[in-house]
Amino acid sequence: MSFESDLLAILPRLRRFAASLSRDSADGDDLCQAAIERGLKARDQWQPGTRLDSWMYRIMRNLWIDEARARQRAARTFAPEEAGEHVGHAGDRDVEAHVMLSDVDRAMQSLPDEQREAIALVLVEGLSYKEAAQVLDIPMGTLTSRLVRGRGALIELLGEAA
Amino acid sequence: MTDIDEAMLIAWVDGELDEVTRRRVDRAVAEDAALAERLAMHSRLRARLSGHYAPIEAEPVPPAMRAQLENSAKVAPLVRPAPARWRNWGMAGAIAASLVLGLGIGQLASGPAGPVAVQHDVMVARGELASALDTQLASAQEGAAIRIGLSFRRKGGGWCRSFEGVALSGVACREGEAWQLQQLLPGAADRSAYRQASSSDARLMATMEALMDGAPADAAQEAEAKAKGWH
Repeated sequence: MSFESDLLAILPRLRRFAASLSRDSADGDDLCQAAIERGLKARDQWQPGTRLDSWMYRIMRNLWIDEARARQRAARTFAPEEAGEHVGHAGDRDVEAHVMLSDVDRAMQSLPDEQREAIALVLVEGLSYKEAAQVLDIPMGTLTSRLVRGRGALIELLGEAA
Repeated sequence: MTDIDEAMLIAWVDGELDEVTRRRVDRAVAEDAALAERLAMHSRLRARLSGHYAPIEAEPVPPAMRAQLENSAKVAPLVRPAPARWRNWGMAGAIAASLVLGLGIGQLASGPAGPVAVQHDVMVARGELASALDTQLASAQEGAAIRIGLSFRRKGGGWCRSFEGVALSGVACREGEAWQLQQLLPGAADRSAYRQASSSDARLMATMEALMDGAPADAAQEAEAKAKGWH
């Protein structure tokens, strides 16, 4: 099996992870393509015999975090009048997105990044706590407390309360 | 009140408790309706989330991503250098042995016929294809020869499943004890179809869209349908 065909085999799961991190599946596919590109470039850093999926989850998650930070910086940097020009457009987009997004997408969107990535890895991707903590490079206790808080918020947002 | 906290209920749902603690939670839940409801709530949340994103995993890989990998494979060697392959010869031997075994069993079970037969004037799956449709779950098919795409209920009732193999891909629906083929396309081995995965996928998607009633099954619904023999 080549590196590419190994990657192709886990791609459906990587796409799903990307979608659960992103605003919608189109943004998710952009993220996924960027992660593939990064993974192909860094292929020499992957150690055969270790798990390719965990390695790719980590690459994707780091790209996503970088992107989120860049967006926040851009939002702070742009002058108000420049932002003003785009208000109408951005507003339309938001309305559109609002209609398109499902309850679950919206609820996931509203979680802080650190809770969303923990929820995505464990509840959506089905990773064990140990695997998820390794991907995120955090202690198990930190992971479980993020899972508890993230779930509490989702239950409230989705009206799953008892 | 019990000493079972939220983190323990959640770990129960995530399958992270050791046997002793799990039994302790089970006992507490059996005696406390409110606790039982909280556990159910966490189970529902997990099922809802995994079900929500499951269809993305079941979809065929978009052509653009496939192309990214194919273009890369053209530049880099598609197979690893020979020494690495020889180190794995034990595995290769095991695969070869299982292929021989599989061939033997396949011939015993279905004779020389292929994956498709005509039965009472309709096209039905048989052999390996039929057993993949019967038993394989979309959520657990690492390395399977035939991949199941989506499982879904058709308008008017009954289960249908899409599949993709080396020789053929398509959509089949359960009729009695057989899988009736609704659509049959060349599989991944057909080089031109492989290249134009999008058009082949689009045809499958169109068929599924025309047949499908509501949303595709999530992993739990699929497992339940399988347990009931797709009836």
